[in-house]
Amino acid sequence: MTDKNNKIPFDEDNYTHNINRTNERKLDRRGFMKTLVGAAGVFALSSLPWGAVAAKELSGLWEKEYPHKKITDVNAIAIGDAVDFTFPGEHDNAILIRLTEHKYVAYQNACTHLRCPVFWEKEEQQMLCPCHHGKFDVATGNPTAGPPRRPLPAIEVKVEKGAVFAVKVKRYEV
Amino acid sequence: MKSKHVYFAALCIILLLNVILTQKMVHQFYFEHYTNTIMLGLLNIVLFPLAILIYKRDRKAEVKDE
Repeated sequence: MTDKNNKIPFDEDNYTHNINRTNERKLDRRGFMKTLVGAAGVFALSSLPWGAVAAKELSGLWEKEYPHKKITDVNAIAIGDAVDFTFPGEHDNAILIRLTEHKYVAYQNACTHLRCPVFWEKEEQQMLCPCHHGKFDVATGNPTAGPPRRPLPAIEVKVEKGAVFAVKVKRYEV
Repeated sequence: MKSKHVYFAALCIILLLNVILTQKMVHQFYFEHYTNTIMLGLLNIVLFPLAILIYKRDRKAEVKDE
């Protein structure tokens, strides 16, 4: 058994080692077709989580009432000024903008292009995303310039007892 | 056109459709159009058995040619 060890090359008897693959392609036509079918399978598999989350949202099981969160006092924010806060979770950044004495708008801060934070420019009175110069209309959250295609999700706010509260994140208008 | 080219082109077209449908599906998801998301996802999933069918036909055609 061991008499062939470390003897290169050894005498072959051609009952074994008789498939010569020196000049053959590693990937032949059949292998490539199998790869294409496998890729179709991977895409099919990858669409399952999206479908599952979409079904969950449709069924309404995920609608959760978050406690109304105090953003700031009415006196603490000037007209034309903005305040950063987080709602509903700690990592969902949001921005509140005071347009007039009684009109407040609030949006989730992640730019709908690639989730860079959107800033409120006080001098120009516009919402600007610095990453790719995307601009949003402050009254509606609709994108007005740059790459974003979807509006910023609006947050419903109410003024009570001298303070501004975040109530809930609004779904996109149908 | 030779049949083996046709089967090859069919599988390539299926892959292209997969990529396009996946992008459309994700866009619809972020626009919160969830019924569209599910429909496009189902189309995507249906393309996989279609690819297997075409592959099997290709195998049969190749065996016949030999």
